[in-house]
Amino acid sequence: MSTAIDGGVRAAFRAIADVLIPAAEGMPAASEVDVHGPVLDRIIGLRPDLAERFFRGIGAIAGLPPETAAVQLNAADPQALAAIGLVASAAYYMQPRVRELIGYPGQEKRPGNPDETPEYVANGMLQQVLDRGPIFKPTPKA
Amino acid sequence: MSGANRSPGVADVLIIGAGASGSVAVAKLAEAGFSVVCLEQGGHVDNGEFYGDKPEWELMAQKRWHPNPNVRDLENDYPCETSDSDVNPLMYNAVGGSTILYAAHWQRFMPSDFRVRTLDGVADDWPFTYEDLEPFYDEMDIEMGVSGLGGDPAYPPGKAPPLPPLPIGKIGMKAAEGMNKLGWHWWPGPNAAPSRPYRGRNQCVRRGTCLTGCPERAKASMDHTHWPDALKHGAKLITGARVREITVDGNGMATGAIYIDRSGRERRQMAQVVIVCANGVGTPRLLLMSKSARFPDGLANSSGLAGKNLMMHPYAAVSGSFDEPLESWLGPAGQTIQSMQWYETDASRGFVRGAKWQVMPSGGPLGMRAAYGGKPLDEAWGANLHRSTRKVFGRSFEWGIIAEDLPEETNQVVLDPSLTDSDGLAAPKIVYRNTENTHRMIEFHLARAKEAMAAAGAVSMSVTPLMRDCGWHLMGTARMGTDPQRSVVNEWGQAHDVPNLYIYDGSVFVTSSGFNPTGTICAIALRAVKHLIANRRNQRVAA
Ligand SMILES: Cc1cc2nc3c(=O)[nH]c(=O)nc-3n(C[C@H](O)[C@H](O)[C@H](O)COP(=O)(O)OP(=O)(O)OC[C@H]3O[C@@H](n4cnc5c(N)ncnc54)[C@H](O)[C@@H]3O)c2cc1C
Ligand code: SF4
Repeated sequence: MSTAIDGGVRAAFRAIADVLIPAAEGMPAASEVDVHGPVLDRIIGLRPDLAERFFRGIGAIAGLPPETAAVQLNAADPQALAAIGLVASAAYYMQPRVRELIGYPGQEKRPGNPDETPEYVANGMLQQVLDRGPIFKPTPKA
Repeated sequence: MSGANRSPGVADVLIIGAGASGSVAVAKLAEAGFSVVCLEQGGHVDNGEFYGDKPEWELMAQKRWHPNPNVRDLENDYPCETSDSDVNPLMYNAVGGSTILYAAHWQRFMPSDFRVRTLDGVADDWPFTYEDLEPFYDEMDIEMGVSGLGGDPAYPPGKAPPLPPLPIGKIGMKAAEGMNKLGWHWWPGPNAAPSRPYRGRNQCVRRGTCLTGCPERAKASMDHTHWPDALKHGAKLITGARVREITVDGNGMATGAIYIDRSGRERRQMAQVVIVCANGVGTPRLLLMSKSARFPDGLANSSGLAGKNLMMHPYAAVSGSFDEPLESWLGPAGQTIQSMQWYETDASRGFVRGAKWQVMPSGGPLGMRAAYGGKPLDEAWGANLHRSTRKVFGRSFEWGIIAEDLPEETNQVVLDPSLTDSDGLAAPKIVYRNTENTHRMIEFHLARAKEAMAAAGAVSMSVTPLMRDCGWHLMGTARMGTDPQRSVVNEWGQAHDVPNLYIYDGSVFVTSSGFNPTGTICAIALRAVKHLIANRRNQRVAA
C-alpha cells in the first residue's frame, strides 16, 4: 500500500470527496475549495494516525467510478471511509470561504465587558429565580 | 517533622502528581518554608501548543488533545484497560494535571452532599460538613480567579466569587428563558476563567476551547495559578518522573518513592512525609503497586478499600437546535448557566440523590459529525451534510446532566495483569457499572431536560443517555472516614495505616455529589495541607 500523496492519490481523493461533499444547498463542492491541495498534506501530517485507514481506502477504490467507490467502501470498510470523510470534511470546514458561507468565524475572540450589568439582571429574568427562594437542604443538626 | 533533623537529600515533603490537588499542596508547603519535591510523570505544556486559536482545532481535538489517554497514546500517559467499564476515565498527565484540559466549571457541593447517610440513608456521611469546608472554598475562589455571581439560592448565603460572571451568550439566554417559563432554578455558572485580567492571567476571551487547552493563558489551570509561586518559593519540580513505588521502612513508615526518569533510569527520592496526588485512578494504582512484606495487599490498604468505590459521574445530555442563529461556538466552555432544580432527593421519584445540569456551547462544524461513521452514505454525506450543518451548526446547545453515582465496592481500579505503560508498569484496569439508582436518575433527568429544551423553543432534539467518554471526574478510590476498617484516610487525608502518608486528590471523596469536583478537591487539599503545616511539630516521620 502506497503512503505517498502522489497525483493518483490526490485525484482519487478529490473524486470521492466530491461525492461526500457535493455542490448543493448553495455550498461549493469539496474540490472547489481545494481539499485535495496542500491542506491534504497538512492534515495527514498533523494526524498521522489517520494515514493507514486513509491510504487503505484510497487504494481499495482505485479505478472505480466515484459514486460506486463511496458506496462500496462504506459497506466494505466503513472505517476507511470515515477516515477519508474526516480528512475531507476537516479540510472543507477549515476553508475561509466555507466558514463564511456557514457563518462561522472560527473559535474567535469575543471578550465580554465585565463592568456591564448582564441583560438577565437588567431585565428581571434572574429576579424570578431569586423570588422562588432557596432550594437547598441545609446541613442537618448533629 | 523538622528540617533541622533531616539528612541531606531527604525532602520535608514529597508530592506525587502536579495536578489540581498536588499543586495546591506544593504551593502552600513551599510558601510555609518546607523543602518540597514534586514528582510528575508528564512535562510542561506551553499555551502555544494548543489549537484553539487555529483552524485545525477540531481535527486536533480528536487526537492530540483528546481527554482519553488511550486515544492520545502519549508517552506521558498510562493506558487504562476499560473492557469491563461503562465509562472511560479521562485525564491529562502533565504539570497542571487534568486542569490542562478541564472545562473549569468551578463548583461547590451543596450541604446535603456531605450528609447523604443522615438524609437519604445511603452511602456514608463525610467526616466534615459544608460549613467546615466553606472558608477553603472561599480561599480557592480567590486563588483561581473564579468568575460568577453571588446569591445563588441553591446555596446557603456566602461570599460572592471574586470576579463578575462571564457572558452567558445567546445560548444561556435561550435556556434561561425556558427555565423561567417552567419556574425552574437556573443561575449563571461559575467558571475558573477570569472575566478580567487576574494575577498574571489574561481575560477569558470566550474562545470556547477550554476542553482542549486555553490558548489565551486565561483559564485557571494549575500550571498558571499555583506553579509560578511554588517555584519562586523554592519548590523542586521533577518532570518526566513516573513513580512506581512508595517506599516504607521496617516500622511501616513512608520513606519516599522510587521513580523512573525519561531515560529509563530508576531513581529514588527520600522524604519525611509523602503526599499522593495522582488522581482517582493514578493514586490507587500507585498504592496497589507499592506492595511490600509489610503491606502485601498494597500500601495503606488494610481496609481492602484502596481502589474500591470508584465514582466517575455518568453524563447524559439533551441537545436542542433552534430556528435562529445562537453563535453556539462561543465560550466559555465552561458553562453558561446551570440548574440545581432537581438536585436534592425526592424519594417519590424512585431514586435518591440528583444531578447538576449545565448549558455548554456546541463547538464547530466538524465535532458535530464525529458519530457518523458507518451510517448509510446519503444520510451522513452528500446534500444532507449541507442541510444538517445549516440546521444545527451555530444554532444548538446542550443541557448536560452530571448524575451522582453512589459508591459501590464492585466499581473499582485494579492492576491489569498484562497491560503496561511505556515503562513496563502495570496499567490500571477499570471495573465500573452503572446501578439501578443511576439508571432511574438519568431517565428522570433526561425527561426533565427534554421539557426544558422544549420550553426554550428547540425545534429538534437529540438525547445521549450515557456518554462513554465521560469519566472526567475520578473519585472515591481511597475514601476518607473515621473508621480505619471502612476508609483509607482520615479527614486530613492521612492514611490510617501509615501516619506520614497522605492522599489529597479526588480519591478521598466519600460520595461523588452531582457536581464537577475540582473546586471541592482543591478546598479539601487546602484544608488538609494547612492542618499539616499547623501540626508540623506533631507529625511522625520515618526514623
Ligand atoms: C476533559 C476534562 C474536563 C474536565 N472539566 C472539569 C470541570 O469543568 N470542572 C471540574 O471541577 N473538573 C473538571 N475535570 C476534572 C478535573 O480536571 C479533575 O477533577 C482534577 O484535575 C483532579 O485533580 P487531581 O489532583 O485529583 O488529579 P489530576 O489533576 O489528574 O493530576 C494528577 C497528576 O498526577 C500525575 N501522576 C499520576 N500518576 C503518577 C505517577 N505514578 N508518577 C508521577 N506522576 C503521576 C499525573 O501525570 C497528573 O499530572 C475535567 C477533567 C477532564 C479530563
Ligand atoms: S473560553 Fe476563555 S478560558 Fe476557555 S479557552 Fe477560551 S479564553 Fe480560554
